[in-house]
Amino acid sequence: MMRSAWLDPVREPTRRLSPQVLAPLAVLLVAFLALNVAIAVLIVSGRLDGHWYDFRDLGNAVQALREWLDDRTADQPGWLSDLLGDHWLSYIVTALIGAIGILSFVGVVLLVLIWVERRLIGRIQVRRGPNRVGPFGLLQPFADAIKLIQKETLIPRGADRFMFYLPPVLVFIPGLLVWAPVPWAPHMSYLDINVGVLYLIAISSLSTLAIFMAGWSSNNHYALLGAMRTVAMMISYEIPLSIALLSVVLFTGSMQLSEIVQWQADHNMWLGVLMPLALFTFFFSSTAELNRTPNDIAEAESEIVAGFHTEYSGMKFGLFYAVELGNAVAVAAFVGTFFLGGWSLFGLEEWVPPYLVFALKIAAGYFVLVWLRGTLPRFRLDQLMMFAWKYLIPISLLQVILVAFERSIFEHWDVPGVIPLALFTIVNAVFAVRIVRFWARFLGYRPERETLLAPTLTRSVGGLQAAQRMRTVR
Amino acid sequence: MESTGIVLGFWLLSGVTVASALLVFLSRNLLHAVLALVLSFLGMAGLFVTLSADFIAVAQVLIYAGAISVLLVFAVMLTPLASRDNANSLFVLPGVLIGAAFAGIVGFVAIDVDWPELTGKAVLGRDFTTTVQGIGSALLDPYVLAFEIASVLLLSALVGAIVLVREDEPA
Amino acid sequence: MTTASEPYVLNIGPQHPSTHGVFRLRVVMDGERIQDIDMVVGYLHRSMEKLAEERTYTQNIPFTDRTDYLAAMSNNLGYCLAAERLAGIEVPDRASYLRVIFAELQRLASHSMANGTFINDAGAWQTPLMYMFREREKILDLFEMTCGARLTTNYMRIGGVAFDPPAEFFPAVNALIDELPDRIAEYTELLVDNEILLARSRGVGVVSAEDAINGSLVGPVLRASGVPWDLRKAEAYCAYGDFDFEIPVGHVGDCYDRFMVRLEEMRQSVRIIRQALDGLPSGPHKTEIPLALRPAPGEAYARVEGPRGELGFYVVSDGGPAPFRFHIRAPSLINLSLLREMAVGTSLPDAIVTLGSLDIVVGEIDR
Repeated sequence: MMRSAWLDPVREPTRRLSPQVLAPLAVLLVAFLALNVAIAVLIVSGRLDGHWYDFRDLGNAVQALREWLDDRTADQPGWLSDLLGDHWLSYIVTALIGAIGILSFVGVVLLVLIWVERRLIGRIQVRRGPNRVGPFGLLQPFADAIKLIQKETLIPRGADRFMFYLPPVLVFIPGLLVWAPVPWAPHMSYLDINVGVLYLIAISSLSTLAIFMAGWSSNNHYALLGAMRTVAMMISYEIPLSIALLSVVLFTGSMQLSEIVQWQADHNMWLGVLMPLALFTFFFSSTAELNRTPNDIAEAESEIVAGFHTEYSGMKFGLFYAVELGNAVAVAAFVGTFFLGGWSLFGLEEWVPPYLVFALKIAAGYFVLVWLRGTLPRFRLDQLMMFAWKYLIPISLLQVILVAFERSIFEHWDVPGVIPLALFTIVNAVFAVRIVRFWARFLGYRPERETLLAPTLTRSVGGLQAAQRMRTVR
Repeated sequence: MESTGIVLGFWLLSGVTVASALLVFLSRNLLHAVLALVLSFLGMAGLFVTLSADFIAVAQVLIYAGAISVLLVFAVMLTPLASRDNANSLFVLPGVLIGAAFAGIVGFVAIDVDWPELTGKAVLGRDFTTTVQGIGSALLDPYVLAFEIASVLLLSALVGAIVLVREDEPA
Repeated sequence: MTTASEPYVLNIGPQHPSTHGVFRLRVVMDGERIQDIDMVVGYLHRSMEKLAEERTYTQNIPFTDRTDYLAAMSNNLGYCLAAERLAGIEVPDRASYLRVIFAELQRLASHSMANGTFINDAGAWQTPLMYMFREREKILDLFEMTCGARLTTNYMRIGGVAFDPPAEFFPAVNALIDELPDRIAEYTELLVDNEILLARSRGVGVVSAEDAINGSLVGPVLRASGVPWDLRKAEAYCAYGDFDFEIPVGHVGDCYDRFMVRLEEMRQSVRIIRQALDGLPSGPHKTEIPLALRPAPGEAYARVEGPRGELGFYVVSDGGPAPFRFHIRAPSLINLSLLREMAVGTSLPDAIVTLGSLDIVVGEIDR
């Protein structure tokens, strides 16, 4: 009998979580939330202070550990504290905890997100995505990693060997360092320095050189083209990105990430709502820095194969790929921190662990990135450059001027903070829409769809005369 | 008393900085030299960190390691025959002379000046936590004229560079 | 003072994501600007035209599947028309209608592929391609249930078609025809207004009507340049004269027009299939011909409007069981020949998009 897959679709049975698995998970989740609520009730009623058992904020536990260690070692100064300072043990312990935390977080997140991204893209593309290795294909990232490690690493002839080996490692360092100042909860931040915003920009600019090295040392035209494109993009888009962050810093009056989040929590106002233009500029510039669609010209696979990592194979390629994913998550985290209120959610952070709120925001931001990747075509290099220099930089500068005025009004106007903030939200939203439209018209841009013409339909055929006739009819 | 860890960090960082600075002119491959230069920039940033000048440190990384190095790489790439040789140049002798003279001046100043050393209570009296705000208000209050002159100078340099390399539009 | 730069050669292909097969572009570039393009073909040459001189007329049908492997039905049809013209064979009405149905289904499948890969070349990360494969897959299922093969169908025969479609074919094709207008509307909604796609494809790879005719371009590429030329109207082979349909004609001849012309042609194909299914006559699906056909000495040329354009088969007989000369006029090769004129002076991404909009199949270029 002939198979007609069409009338009688042979569907792969969709695997769902069985109740046996689901029920314990649900019970655990409910118990966890109940515990949180109970602790929150105790804290709000003042019967419990921020101690180590308040696990909604992991910073408390580390703080308690530090104090305990300091107490234990304070009365016995030895040659080690001569060498390393007074609080050396607590410093080292907290540093180790933070470093291990970041490393394991990035590692786990990468493994999970490789799967998530492929499944999501699969959904977007009306196919299933990896579902063979392990339940729901969850072990696919491990299989990928094993495959990549086993593969031979090829070095092209004529490549600069030293500079060819270095970049995969070098790009990984900023990829880990950017996670240091991220505030996960009120006291849960590894490196809460007062120049956090500058630190982020500085660290993210470091990977440019590594990518350039990768492209140059590969001795391959595609790689070189990709590297040149990357460098050009990164230099261009760092400016609107910094200006967007300048608005944030200006309005909150701090470069410390935890204070920026605290400001948003205190005023119950997300900066992304307050200044949507800055949010858009930051997000778009970040996609350009990340090489993700619609700005993935640096590794445009239909044009220059894989850009700067064309010649990399095996785990070297794997590192580039992992860094790319990790940076996407980091951008989602920064959008969450700067523009979506970080760990705060209008008081809900009192009741659920703030780091879960923050993780949710990261997931949402990451989903948007994957969504964009699965949906949009790619710009051309000159179009992107023009967009950055002629469009994003002027309008974000105007936005900074506006925000500066608003900031001084906010500081000197003697009314409850809600009124100016509501006012500024409206003003900024109107400004964003108007300036985008105005600037586009000013630069001579007309929406393409206004001049769109569907093909003419005809029933008669002919040659050049017919073509000219049709042209004159229009 | 200064803890030995800071001193150790200082010597380590200055070792890295000086070693990579030496590599800059000992390396025969110009691109390797640029990379060594970047490493020495980063070492400098580390030295600033040991001085609690976090803003300067971050600015060092941002401007020198992030931006200037890319500029250098571009310059090297756009120069013909660049990556071939770094050593055979007519400027070796004058370079060494100028370098030695500069090192002499710096050394003389470092030894000759009676550096005021803040110890004990004097250190605690200083507020080291708000370098960014301090620098910001210093730039926009007492030194605003110099700041503006510098920015105009940079702008004119930018415009000048564009004018210099501008190609004639094909008719 | 100017900065001097020296051009360099970039080899795109033979293995490259955007060459759609083993085919090589030797691009001389100055930075991102293209100064010259050489098209190097021949990597997929299988000397089909020579091999065909050693095989009987019927044995040659499978060769035509393998030239343009994305439009096997149209190629079968073109060759069978040429052989029938040479031997003077009449084709039953039902066979003609079935030929039209399958040729148009093939056009739908091929245009889905063309538009999907075009947007892929413009940078969308496989998604439009996957959407369009969804419909193509259903069409290939229809082929499979009719003739057992999905890609290399070998369905047309000299004197008719190989099989009458099975009973389950008709409900399936009707369901597909009912579904397709919605699907095409979906693509239109998703893509036609997309600002990025517009920015990438409008004004890129422009060919004027005069240049298109001088370069003897064919098919959607020609029509996109504004020339209303379609063999289904001009020659009305098979039963195309019986159906009411229109041909879309573009305005400026850029990549966007080519995309839109293909999209509109898909709509028209649906229209033709519906009419052909409604008016499908009963009767035999094939004229019986001798297995070793020996046409009288002479020559014949037949051309059909394949998905990629005018597809011609030139067959010469010396009275023997095998053709004396067998030649294919392949639309992909002819459309490709103007790529240099379209792409020189533009940038690499534009050239890739232009190449994608030409919808070449390398199997047909090299044969």
